[in-house]
Amino acid sequence: MAGSTIPSEFVTELHNRATQLRIDSVRATSEAGSGHPSSCCSAADIVATLFFSVMHYDPKNPKAPNSDRFILSKGHAAPLLYAAWAEAGLFPKGDLLKLRTLASDLEGHPTPRLSFVDMATGSLGQGLPVGIGIALNAKYIDKLDHRTYVLMGDGESVEGSVWEAVEAARHHQLDNLCVIVDINRLGQSDPTMLQHDMEAYHSRWSGFGWHAIVVDGHDLDALLTAFDEASHVKGKPTVLLAKTLRDEASRSWKTTRTGMENQFPRGKRRRKPSMN
Amino acid sequence: MTSQLKPISASIRIEKPTASAPSSFAAKPLPPSPYKQGDSAATREAFGVAFEALGSVNPLVVGLDADVKNSTYTDKFGKKFPDRFFENFIAEQNMVGAAAGLAACGKIPFAATFACFLTRAYDFIRMAAISQSNIKLVGTHVGVSIGEDGPSQMGLEDIAMMAAQPGVAVLYPSDATSTYRLVELAANHKGMVYLRAGRPKSPVLYGPEEQFQIGGSKLVRQSASDALTIVAAGVTLFEALKAHDQLKAAGISVRVIDLYSIVPIDRATLIDSARVTQGRILTVEDHYAHGGLGDAVLSAVGSEGIRVHKLAIRAIPHSGKPEELVDHFGIGARSIVEAAKQILK
Repeated sequence: MAGSTIPSEFVTELHNRATQLRIDSVRATSEAGSGHPSSCCSAADIVATLFFSVMHYDPKNPKAPNSDRFILSKGHAAPLLYAAWAEAGLFPKGDLLKLRTLASDLEGHPTPRLSFVDMATGSLGQGLPVGIGIALNAKYIDKLDHRTYVLMGDGESVEGSVWEAVEAARHHQLDNLCVIVDINRLGQSDPTMLQHDMEAYHSRWSGFGWHAIVVDGHDLDALLTAFDEASHVKGKPTVLLAKTLRDEASRSWKTTRTGMENQFPRGKRRRKPSMN
Repeated sequence: MTSQLKPISASIRIEKPTASAPSSFAAKPLPPSPYKQGDSAATREAFGVAFEALGSVNPLVVGLDADVKNSTYTDKFGKKFPDRFFENFIAEQNMVGAAAGLAACGKIPFAATFACFLTRAYDFIRMAAISQSNIKLVGTHVGVSIGEDGPSQMGLEDIAMMAAQPGVAVLYPSDATSTYRLVELAANHKGMVYLRAGRPKSPVLYGPEEQFQIGGSKLVRQSASDALTIVAAGVTLFEALKAHDQLKAAGISVRVIDLYSIVPIDRATLIDSARVTQGRILTVEDHYAHGGLGDAVLSAVGSEGIRVHKLAIRAIPHSGKPEELVDHFGIGARSIVEAAKQILK
């Protein structure tokens, strides 16, 4: 899919889906009174592109054989994952407002109590090793053609386990594995070490033998093109190094809704959600 | 924010996966154990032999190593089933994470390394427990009985860390026969299992027909006049048997339980035995004093008014000959005899 051939109407609809995911994430965390809405927002365009264009899966049956697998390694963006499955039609959107409550399996970080979660995440740096197990199974044991997508945060890419996995994926030539690093520049308490030094990220991942693509994580055309490129790479895994902003959507939102910078759409302010 | 939604005609359609033929396997039973009473074998080696045999009867079983396959004996499986054996090199976190990924695909992954190095992957083990994963972890080279390599190579807190996680079965076979059978039981058990295996060779206690179960134990020595119940597993079981003979020669009769399943624990047998021995239990383990076999026994029977005395490793160990270290650090036959006499004084 070359960038120029993607119909603008399709991109517009993807944009709408991404916006809807942001709205749902912010609504859910506002209702819960806690959570990480800005970490959801930085990855919303990536997740919308995967869920509504790139991935092959059954929205009514997450365990369908040979489905593309998605692992949210940055588990604190759980509301975004939940919003995506609700948007895809797995469960009613109203359930999203039960986020983080004892009565709901939509927990603060994802667990396999949910049919669409393979492994609990939230302890950072663990999604990629798990993705390797799934990709190994597809490539070497069950010989399935599904792909495995792992969405990581830039903060967690400092964990040593990430680099263990980066080496292992290259060694096993996992060309059915695609990592997306949501490089939103911010950790929990400080900016990340590399911030938005995309060249530094590129040299690290490509130095480890991965096919590395630097992409604007909010440019849907560019994301579609990059995922398409990833699917054609043979003999090595691909990483999309996505430069993102946590306030990509709310910047324009602010301009249209002056004075609402720190408020949530419900207008009913509870304990301020942490913004990492 | 909703104002950003633009009016368009719907064109998005989610593509469903191409169908794949569902695989159906029926696991066959493991052939009889090749070990006979009177043989001598390390439990880590019996694990390797059982694991290889398991590969032939159960195609869902896969193996993962962290560059110690010639010490854990998973190289036997790896050579026979190269397509389902994954070398992670020295990367224990990736090994356990990848095992969980394979388990999420319906496989039965066995990830094996030295027990001490599983501590490095503990966060992954914790997350696998939260996920109620079906991974099987095998830790070899446990305790001071590894000998000369010294404390950095000794798994001495592995029972504590595994037993701390809800839903993890913790198995600690003492001989080759029980190891062989427990490997099969681990594969067939739905849920996480940790199997603790030792480095030194030990006598084969049980014949190939002996039955074991997760949650079971074996009363290996008993008489009607027993004054004390000794509970042990692994190398200390053989120390307990030596102590049994020495105490018997001194006119003191004790019973010995092989506690091969620490979680779940055979509470009924422990309580029944303790009642026969006037509420006295002595535990002996090649593990640090906190959170090991002794604490598991205490937790199981403490509320029954049974007194549990523990022998365990209470100091940072040292290099030396295995038998020397077992004696020096207070878990050998000499210490057991002393403790028994003290308790019965």
